Amino acid sequence: MKNNIKVQRAIHNLTQQDLADRIGVSRQTINALEAGRYVPSTVLALKLSRLFNKSVNEIFDLEEGD
Amino acid sequence: MKTNYLFPHRYKWVSGALFAIAFVLLTFLFVFTDYEDSPQMKIRVFAIADGFLSDNVYFKVVDNSILDELLMLLVIVSGLVFAFSREKLEDEMVAAIRLNSLAWATIANYLILLFCYLFIYGMPFLNVLMGAMLSQLVIFIILFRYKMYRFNNPRQDEE
Repeated sequence: MKNNIKVQRAIHNLTQQDLADRIGVSRQTINALEAGRYVPSTVLALKLSRLFNKSVNEIFDLEEGD
Repeated sequence: MKTNYLFPHRYKWVSGALFAIAFVLLTFLFVFTDYEDSPQMKIRVFAIADGFLSDNVYFKVVDNSILDELLMLLVIVSGLVFAFSREKLEDEMVAAIRLNSLAWATIANYLILLFCYLFIYGMPFLNVLMGAMLSQLVIFIILFRYKMYRFNNPRQDEE
């Protein structure tokens, strides 16, 4: 699964730590999300969606093989 | 994610220290002392079963050194608390790492046990059984700590 969290984070001018604090996870989890090493739960995806004011589909995208 | 089976984070390092000390003492007691001259704490205890080979007794009060029982109690309780207490920053990825470590620890533990079962016979196999009491917990703790270390200290190229 692909995501553009890094782009959204830049648009909202947040550091990884800021974003982590806003949605209640560790900075390492944001790092793993951006690197595509971790697929978040629906709850976390919806929190990101609410924070960025974008639908989940605009942040996350399926890849070949998903 | 809400997990309700974890102990509070404040118990983590106390139980970790207790576990390490008790584990070393227990290993020392079993490996480096003969039964006769090992330290003893003989008292009368209730036994569901006791005996050696054929002359077993059931549901009787017997004499027994409780030093190893006390150490095993300490090792298992502190080990469980250490293994299953909350991380400083507990989130869903930590929960995923914990579950992954637990699965791999179970697989690794049974592969090791199977190997020992197939190639170790007779009295030395008793040592395998003794080790099997704690092996899964110990493998899980090592694996989980290693993965958490990697999680908290990602390589520079992953930043």
